[in-house]
Amino acid sequence: MISVSMRRTMTFAAVLSALAAAPSPASAGGESGAAADKVLRLPMTTDGPKSLDPIVGSTTYENRCCSQIFDTLVQYKYLKRPFELEPSLLAEMPQISEDGKVWHCTLKKGVRFQDDPCFPDGKGREIVASDVFYSWKRAADPKYQFKSYWLLEDTIVGLDEFKEAQQQSGSFNYDAPVEGFRLINDHEFELVFKRPVQQFMWKLAMFQLSIVPREAVEKYGDRFNRHPVGSGPFMLENESDWQIGTSLVLKRNPNYRDEFYPSEAMPGDAEAGFTKAAGQKLPIVDRIEITFFVESQPMWLKFEAGELDYTTVPETAYEEAFSRRSGNLKRTYEQRGITAHKVPLIDFIFRGFNMEDPLLGGYTKEKRALRKAICLALDWDELNEAYYNGTALIYDGMIPHGLDGHPEDGHLSNAWRGPDLERARQFLAEAGYPDGKDLPIIDYYTSSGGTSERMAALTARQLAKVNIRINPRLVDFSTLMEAVDNKKAPFFSFAWGSDYPDAENNLALFYGPNEAPKPNHFNYKNAEYDRLYEKIRTMPPGPERTAIYIQMRDMVLEDCPYAGSMARIRHFLVNPWLLNFKPTETFYTWMKYLDVDDSKRPGGSSR
Amino acid sequence: MWSFILRRLLYNIPVYLGIILLVMVLLRVRNPVYAYLGKNADAKQIEEFEKSFGLKDPFIVQYGRFLWNGIQLDFGESWKYKGTTVREKLLGAIPPSLSITVPALVLTSLLSITVGLLSAFNRGRLLDRLLVIAAVLGMSISFLVYIIFGQFFGAALPRNVFGEDWPLAIVGYGDWYRLSSVDIFGLTIPVPDAMTWVKFCLLPVLISVVVAMGYDTRFYRAVMVEECNRDYIITARAKGATKSKIMFVHMLKNAMIPIITRIMTTLPFLITGSILLEMYFNIPGMGRTLITAITDMDYPMIQGFTAVIALLYILSIILTDVLYALVDPRVRLS
Repeated sequence: MISVSMRRTMTFAAVLSALAAAPSPASAGGESGAAADKVLRLPMTTDGPKSLDPIVGSTTYENRCCSQIFDTLVQYKYLKRPFELEPSLLAEMPQISEDGKVWHCTLKKGVRFQDDPCFPDGKGREIVASDVFYSWKRAADPKYQFKSYWLLEDTIVGLDEFKEAQQQSGSFNYDAPVEGFRLINDHEFELVFKRPVQQFMWKLAMFQLSIVPREAVEKYGDRFNRHPVGSGPFMLENESDWQIGTSLVLKRNPNYRDEFYPSEAMPGDAEAGFTKAAGQKLPIVDRIEITFFVESQPMWLKFEAGELDYTTVPETAYEEAFSRRSGNLKRTYEQRGITAHKVPLIDFIFRGFNMEDPLLGGYTKEKRALRKAICLALDWDELNEAYYNGTALIYDGMIPHGLDGHPEDGHLSNAWRGPDLERARQFLAEAGYPDGKDLPIIDYYTSSGGTSERMAALTARQLAKVNIRINPRLVDFSTLMEAVDNKKAPFFSFAWGSDYPDAENNLALFYGPNEAPKPNHFNYKNAEYDRLYEKIRTMPPGPERTAIYIQMRDMVLEDCPYAGSMARIRHFLVNPWLLNFKPTETFYTWMKYLDVDDSKRPGGSSR
Repeated sequence: MWSFILRRLLYNIPVYLGIILLVMVLLRVRNPVYAYLGKNADAKQIEEFEKSFGLKDPFIVQYGRFLWNGIQLDFGESWKYKGTTVREKLLGAIPPSLSITVPALVLTSLLSITVGLLSAFNRGRLLDRLLVIAAVLGMSISFLVYIIFGQFFGAALPRNVFGEDWPLAIVGYGDWYRLSSVDIFGLTIPVPDAMTWVKFCLLPVLISVVVAMGYDTRFYRAVMVEECNRDYIITARAKGATKSKIMFVHMLKNAMIPIITRIMTTLPFLITGSILLEMYFNIPGMGRTLITAITDMDYPMIQGFTAVIALLYILSIILTDVLYALVDPRVRLS
């Protein structure tokens, strides 16, 4: 006999089944052809980008979305590691003059922006050299709060003066000339630099320097960030396709230039199936559906249900996916054909000292000894085990994994990596505080939220072992930045994600003229270091430059303006139907290379 | 009645101004510009930003400007979402919240009142005890647990078994903005059809009902128990009125004041939405929008949202007083 409640449950299930059998709104909405479309279904943690205008973008989320819609002059080679660049909108890599100050660039011919009503007849026009100058001049426009100007500052001849003049005039004239922007013809132009700047090549691949059409910016004004018009592999067809904070749907740009899946690969790529698509026209899929997740739990559930093509593994789900002991993917996932990828991020996580602080700062033997004592008392491995599932990379120096100057196996004999409590006590005595006696309590600034409070407690406990007492100041991120920028934080927890994979970006953190509020948060000053930094900026990659990187790294180690270092590992789980995915977080132009095999999806279809 | 409403509105103006003042003061305790401009900003950029957004102006000027613009329903432009006004964000966030909160309130109220009536009428008996235990158990479990279990058992697990034919989605708001919309103040606001509503909203609504049922049932039971002891119930019983007539006609009518109070105090939360539900189900409603605005330190958004929420709260309190008088002739609006 069936109980009343059981009957109700069955009735409810029947109603749900009937609803399931009814045509879905999407298909009823006239998307009958959509079944044949190849669709990527990707997650993005947080509530996604705030803007789709590259010039005001700064976060990884904006990078990820803008990189699909816009094109840069050069781009990262998809499969190559260590990272290398190749022409994107350019026909070839810039030709650099002998003195390194003039870069001759040639644009590919026939590359068009996507179709949009901002163009005559709605047809996207060809990209010309003046588009490059216009796009970059936007960085100097106060309307965009100079959010991307740091990329161009003190590099191109006349640009800083142009910025000043425009600011003073009160109205921004994009047609005013910049000495360092030399137009040769529609497809050729030259960039003239104040001094040779090797690293500018990496900046050319950064999404903030993407090329945008003037017509669109002028037509849509502030709405350009909701109505982006680019020349990238995908496009935002309707403004409503970006449901802010919820989802973003991008469609293939039919005007996308002729670009093909690369054949240049690394050992192991063929075995992983990354080379099968060589020669295939890009982009491969027709549509990308990105869902934003403020909470990671639903993202994980959605991946488990097969509704996402890949996921990053939330820390809370780490032990569900991986064996804690071996670090290998659990068999249940392997049986489903899911593959795991561990991607080290180019992170520099550290505890910084303000070198101008009366207690911790300074360059005397005693001051150095105090900082070294702190470094030696800290146990990064314990922190890693407790809060990063033991997966983060601990390394010496400020140059992360994969970059020139990173120590082999991460260890350096001249570093002050703890825990070495005996030496810490010796240095403490050398600093004039034997056994911590008379050492004042140190204010330690760290951002609140997440595990920060517990991490600060761990730091306090570790330092207390040598009688160094800290007062953890848990503040919101803005207050932390304010304290560091105003040189008020003597000891602080911070991290730096490299803007591009060149150690110069990390070495710049200790360059004197970059002192706070610029990125030298340590306010580290060393004339010899600054001289070397100015030298490496002009040097091409090679053993000589790497040797100077190492010299600079060691100079900083000796002065000890920070304790560290650590880099996170991002764990990706990839479903078997997602093809060609070689995960990285260094660049985000990779969506055009991805393919899906719908026959392997649950149910064997794309929807 | 109108003079009463006008008088209450006037009384509440200082309260409202005080709320705005407090929020603006609290927001200015810390400077958000450093985090907003990011790691590469220099001192000049920071100053330029503060100037361009009026943060360098005296506080009283900023306060006055906000109020004056607010009267014109202009809360400015979001810092984070350039080109998007706060009003646009507000109007866009209300329908998603309402699509969850209104059905949840209606269902919860109907069910809780009915269960409360049943429980009160059977006071001390097994049914009453079971219902009270169920309500206490329901209250004792964290909202988050309901959400996580609900998402897993209501959507993730069945979708694993039945595939995407299972009609309840794990998260999302999906495609409903493509389907139908209404125009309000010149803005196109998406509205879901029934199928889409079931897919994206039914599960959060059911979770919301389950969570609220425990609290509401206990409250309504207490109200009804008090009513059960009144003379008019004894009289009705003595006159031979049926059980259902006593419960649903006599008792319910006389218990309307506390019921209205309970429902009316919930009304502002219909607009503000449920933060947890919206966060976990990816619903771009008011709660989620406000929380992300706070996380992003998006001052105009926080100020605009607070101003609207405070106004709604005050209006709902006045409306509650008016409804008392309409429901109970003994209450006079004087």
